[in-house]
Amino acid sequence: MKLEVRNLSFSYDGFRLAVDSLVFAGSRVTSIVGPNGAGKSTFLKCLASVLPSARHALSVDGKDLAGVRGKERARLVGYVPQEPAFTFNYTVLDFVLTGRAAFIGMFSSPSGHDVRLAEEALHYVGLNGQARRPFLELSSGERRLVLIARALVQESEILLLDEPTSFLDPRHEVETMGLCRRLAEDKAKTIIVTLHNLEMAVRYSDAMVFMKGGRVVASGPPRGVLTEALLRDVYDLDMRIVECQGQTFFVK
Amino acid sequence: MTKKTGWLVWASFALPLVLLVLSLNLGSYHIPLKEVWATIFGGTSAAGGPSPYADILFRIRLPRLLLAMFAGAALSVSGASLQALFKNPLVFEFSLGISYGAAFGAALSLVFLGRGFVPQLAAFAFAVVAVVLVLVIAGKSASQIVPVLLSGVIVSALFQALLSLVEFFANPYALQALIFWLLGSLSQAVWGDLAVTLPIIGLGVAVLVLFRWRLNVLSLGDEEARALGVNVRREKALVIAVATLTTAAATSVTGVINWVGLIVPHLVRMMVGADNRKVIPLSAALGASLLIVADDFARSAASFEIPIGILTSVVGIPFFIVLLKRSGKTWL
Repeated sequence: MKLEVRNLSFSYDGFRLAVDSLVFAGSRVTSIVGPNGAGKSTFLKCLASVLPSARHALSVDGKDLAGVRGKERARLVGYVPQEPAFTFNYTVLDFVLTGRAAFIGMFSSPSGHDVRLAEEALHYVGLNGQARRPFLELSSGERRLVLIARALVQESEILLLDEPTSFLDPRHEVETMGLCRRLAEDKAKTIIVTLHNLEMAVRYSDAMVFMKGGRVVASGPPRGVLTEALLRDVYDLDMRIVECQGQTFFVK
Repeated sequence: MTKKTGWLVWASFALPLVLLVLSLNLGSYHIPLKEVWATIFGGTSAAGGPSPYADILFRIRLPRLLLAMFAGAALSVSGASLQALFKNPLVFEFSLGISYGAAFGAALSLVFLGRGFVPQLAAFAFAVVAVVLVLVIAGKSASQIVPVLLSGVIVSALFQALLSLVEFFANPYALQALIFWLLGSLSQAVWGDLAVTLPIIGLGVAVLVLFRWRLNVLSLGDEEARALGVNVRREKALVIAVATLTTAAATSVTGVINWVGLIVPHLVRMMVGADNRKVIPLSAALGASLLIVADDFARSAASFEIPIGILTSVVGIPFFIVLLKRSGKTWL
C-alpha cells in the first residue's frame, strides 16, 4: 500500500516540520536520511499518527487517515520505535502480544491464535525459542528484532521504523536491513526507515528522502538523487561518493 | 501465560475465602470452628437448636471480614493498575491524593458537619475531588508521570494542612473519633454501609480484572499504545476513574490503610513477573488475604484492638525501604 503526505505541518518548541507532498511507494523500502535535528523521527511519528495532529495530512491508497479509527489505523500503519521506554520487564512473548491490541477488545485477553501468531513472528525474525525470556535480558540487536516481530503481528501494511540499526554491530545492522528488504519483497510491506548510515540506505532502499531543518530537500531512487552537491547541502560536510565492487561508499 | 499458570491464578481466589471462614472464630470472644461452621451453614449451633453465636458472627465478624477482603482487593488492584498505567512502580492511592483527600473529608464531617453528612460520604467525595485536582493541576502533561506525582504530592500536602486545621479546631471528643478513623480500622463495618460500599468495590475490581491485559499495552507509554491502535485518552480515563472510585469507596469506610496498594502488587510481581494478566487477579487475591490476616492480628494480638493502618505501615515501610534498595532488579 502506498502512503501519501500532503501539506503536513507540525511544530513544537520552535521547531517546524513542513512537508508539502511526498509519496511512499507500496512494497518498497524508503529510507529517510539527514543530519541530527532534521526532523526525521518527528516526521516518522507524524506518519505513524503517534502525533495525532498530523493525521489529516495522510492517506493510504487514497483513503484519508483523518477519519479512520485507531484500531483500523493500526492495521494500516505500524510503528517500530528505536527502543521502548521500559518500566516493567515483560517476557518477549508478552511484549510481542501487545501488537495484537488492535484485534483484541478492551476487556479481553489474547487467545491461543494470537499466541501462535506471535510465535510465528518471532520465528520469522529469527528469535526461535526466545519467547519466555525477559525482554530486558536481550541484547540491543535482539530487542530490535522483537520490536519488528511485534509490528508483524499488528499486520499493518505499512511499517515505520525509527533508526532500526542505531547501536547495532555490523552483522546485526546487515541482518536488520535484510529483514526490512524481505518484508518488502516477500510480504509486500511498505517499509519506511530513518537511517544515519548512508551506505546502508543506498544498499537497501528503493528510494531515499533527504531532510534538513524540518523540510524534505530531495527524494527519489538512490542512484537518481545522490550527488556530492546534495550531500554537502544536507550535511554541511564535503563527502566523496565512491563506487567499489558494486557498492556505494562515502568518504568524509 | 500458559494454561497451567492461568489456572493457578484463578485458583488463588480460594485463598481469601478460606481465610475468611477460618478467621471467623478469631476475636475477643473465641468461637470454636465447629460452631462457626454449624452456625453459618446450618443456622444452628453444633448441637442443634438456635445458635448463640449468630449475632457475633453475622452482625460483627462477617461484615468486618468481608470489608477486609474487599478493601484489600480494592487497594491492591487499584495500586497495581495505576502502577501499570503511569509506568511507575511507586504509584499507589497515596500518590494521587486519594488518602489525604478522604482523610480531610472524613475529618470535616466528624468535626463540623455532624450527622447530616456522614463521614463515609464526605471521605468518598473529597477523595474524588483530590484526584480531579491532581489531574487538573497536572493539566496537559497529565500523561507524564513526574507532573502527576508532583501534583499528587502538592494536593496531598494541601489536604494534610487542611486536615491539621480541622484537628486544631476540633473538640476533644470529635478529635478522638477522628484520630481513630485516620489510623484505619475495620471495626466500623456495619451492613448498612457495606450494602453501598461492597458493590462499588466489587464492580470496580471486576472491571480492572477484565482490563488486565490492556494494562500491558498501556504500560508501554502513550505514543506506543496509540501506534498499536489504542484510544489512549479514553482508556486511561477509564482506569483512573475506576481505580479512584474503588479506592475511595474502600477508604471511606476503613479509614486510611496505607501501603497495601504498594506492597501487594510488588510481592505479586516478584512471584510471577510483570504480566498484568497475572498481576491484577493475583493482587486482588493476595490483597484480600493480606488484609484479612492483618485484621486478625489487629483483633487478637493484644487485649485491645490495634488500628490496622498502624499494622500495615509498620510492616509496609520496612518493606518499602527494601524495595527501594532493590529497584532496578528484574521482577519489575
